[in-house]
Amino acid sequence: MRSQMLLIRRKASNLVFVGFCWLATAIALAALFAILFTLVKDGVGGMNLKIFTMDTPAPGSDGGLRNAIVGSIMMCGVAMLIAITIGVLAGTWLAEYAGESRYGKVVRFVNDVLLSAPSILIGLFIYEMLVKPFHGFSGWAGAVALAFLATPVITRTTEDVLKLQPSALREAGVALGSPLASTIRRVLWRAGQTGILTGGLLAFARISGETAPLLFTALNNQFFSANMSKPMANLPSVIFNYALSAYDDWRRLAWAGALVIAVAVLSVNIIARTLARETRPS
Amino acid sequence: MNVQATAETYESYVEQIQGPAKIDIKKLDFFYGKNKALHGLTTGFAEKKITALIGPSGCGKSTLLRTMNRIYGLYPGQRAEGEIMFDGRNILGPNEDLAALRARIGMVFQKPTPFPMSIYDNVAYGVRLYERLGRQDMDARVEESLRRAALWDEVKDKLHTSGLGLSGGQQQRLCVARGVAVRPEVLLLDEPASALDPISTAKLEETLIELKQDHTIVIVTHNLGQAARISDYTGFMYLGRLIEFTTTEQLFTNPRGKRTQDYVTGRFG
Repeated sequence: MRSQMLLIRRKASNLVFVGFCWLATAIALAALFAILFTLVKDGVGGMNLKIFTMDTPAPGSDGGLRNAIVGSIMMCGVAMLIAITIGVLAGTWLAEYAGESRYGKVVRFVNDVLLSAPSILIGLFIYEMLVKPFHGFSGWAGAVALAFLATPVITRTTEDVLKLQPSALREAGVALGSPLASTIRRVLWRAGQTGILTGGLLAFARISGETAPLLFTALNNQFFSANMSKPMANLPSVIFNYALSAYDDWRRLAWAGALVIAVAVLSVNIIARTLARETRPS
Repeated sequence: MNVQATAETYESYVEQIQGPAKIDIKKLDFFYGKNKALHGLTTGFAEKKITALIGPSGCGKSTLLRTMNRIYGLYPGQRAEGEIMFDGRNILGPNEDLAALRARIGMVFQKPTPFPMSIYDNVAYGVRLYERLGRQDMDARVEESLRRAALWDEVKDKLHTSGLGLSGGQQQRLCVARGVAVRPEVLLLDEPASALDPISTAKLEETLIELKQDHTIVIVTHNLGQAARISDYTGFMYLGRLIEFTTTEQLFTNPRGKRTQDYVTGRFG
């Protein structure tokens, strides 16, 4: 009788726990879908081919987002190149070589601080370092500011992913006569590639919508420019400016721009994951 | 800490091996930080024979094995003192080229550790580090290695699929194939069959007996039957000391140490 009661209690508490998990997931998903729904509803109206073929217009005239899209792609591209190079190497060093050394601990701590640093602060810093001394806003400065935001994410995930690899794998590589460095490159990176890739994607998703660090660095540009040494148009700044404007056509463009970013992040995610699945021996 | 207190009472019946020793260990101490894990070990490992190391958990079998290719060097704080002579040179010396040493002294681990790459690349990985082989030569080497590890027939049609897709027993034989592909002179095996089912274990044991023709083999095992079946010499270790070392036949049929006797008859362990 008593064991019967206990059984019922166990089942009930299990049900309650699973119920809460289910509810929490539902709330998170509901918020996500609400955002996506608004985005699609308001964004699709402004969507047309001109978005990709024409530059940002003056109020009342026809136009698109070509200059902003190209600027964002270039700056994010350069930023990701910098961030992946530094982040993967730094993460590898932290996981494989730093151990519990004082220098390692300092680097890890600073990286965690950077990870949560407000992006506007990064923008100000780059403004002082790369804009003021060179007397002008530039795409390079924007790219470096974005790289500052992306690098800590990649460093952290790379370190975590490498630490998750069994030490037996490391030993097995080394025991074959392969120096530790090439074991890391050829065995551990490969074993952790999905995780490292996820870190890269998270970083990309984070920087592709950042506005604050670009305000002081790349500024914006009403016209098309592929010159990274000059101020550069970019989607987040355009969205920021247009969404707050009084003109309906500008506001439509802002929604369209937001949709473009969302779709871009989503497709990069899907493409990268598909590629990783194909190259990864299953 | 009763190690200190009873240090006097350890019996030691270490016999000289007959024939040439491939590896000769003299007064080897090993430390994990401040903890001493091996106490003045002295023994030899006979060339082209199988030597088994047995003993209860934590007795230092694996530690001893891990000194011979200096894999412990990956971890700061672990250090060995004494002499490990390999071809007349003390490999504990500071100027030892560790990568080259490990290419000559291979190791297979307790758990299968296939690399996340194809079966072919797993076997070719170590070879590529030290030899530049043409495609045909490499194909031949991969086949030869897989045959010697008794795995060829099972994988010959799927060489370019992932090594992670194999069963546990196959993965372990893949690791053996990977180890022998670089043609090491010595092969160290750390409980290679502990994660395998009986059929895979039997296959692995056959493989090791085959490999004895060309390689000196040292195997750590918890399986006394396995040690008795495949080894020529057996060492019994206890609390970081080599208590008895002699031919396998002698050790299992007529052990001289009391502890050895208790262990091989199953009275403790």
